[in-house]
Amino acid sequence: MSIYQQHLENYKAKKFANQGQLETIMAVKHHIDDHYQEELNLDVLSTEGFVSKFHMLRLFKKYHGQTPSQYLTDKRLEKAKELLKSGASVTETCYAVGFKSLGSFSALFKRRNNISPKGFQKRATLKK
Amino acid sequence: MKVTVISIPVRDQQHALDFYTKKLGFLKKLDIPINETDRWLTLVSPEDQDGVQLVLEPAPLHFEPSRVFQDALMEAGFPYTQFDVESVQEEYDRLMGLDVEFSVAPTDMGTVKIAVFNDTCGNNIQLVEYL
Repeated sequence: MSIYQQHLENYKAKKFANQGQLETIMAVKHHIDDHYQEELNLDVLSTEGFVSKFHMLRLFKKYHGQTPSQYLTDKRLEKAKELLKSGASVTETCYAVGFKSLGSFSALFKRRNNISPKGFQKRATLKK
Repeated sequence: MKVTVISIPVRDQQHALDFYTKKLGFLKKLDIPINETDRWLTLVSPEDQDGVQLVLEPAPLHFEPSRVFQDALMEAGFPYTQFDVESVQEEYDRLMGLDVEFSVAPTDMGTVKIAVFNDTCGNNIQLVEYL
């Protein structure tokens, strides 16, 4: 067994020893993956995962390295890019991925990608 | 500042280009001659052709510490870097069919599944699937 394989075994035993905790937090992540279009908040997520809100928040960050709301935003922006590339309008895209305000969606998209949703779509279309 | 490239050390750029394009499926982006032997050779993912470029860097041929570091990682089984995939199992099956050697078969690691293969250019590479 290589040093890296030993390292993996030690890491797994230490980091993922609590199977129940892991399963709960994976269920929360999968819930976000499946329902990112809907209005999700910590109360809904903690109900899904059967843990208290703040405990869930701590656990999610411990296992996934970011908060559920950061993960949700990333997921929505990733899906928004897919929709824009497929030809959906900016407005359609905004609401389809779960954002409630076109202005906030456009500003966030621009801040994170250094290009507006419209500009992103135009660039993607030109490259086809 | 913006991350546009990451580099990976290789012993033979042409061999690396063949392995990374023909077996792994990356696309060649830039190929600029630097001198008689070396090229500025970069690759991108087919699904993110404007994304971060992977530089096939011939440092181990010219800089001894780079070769020593690469050899030490290889001997210990540590991956030099990692690539995300949709399904580690499917990539493992596909690459095994192309005679790629794995030192770590698909393994669940809590929130991810991983596998590690030899890129035949002096490096171990880890595949990662987010579960």
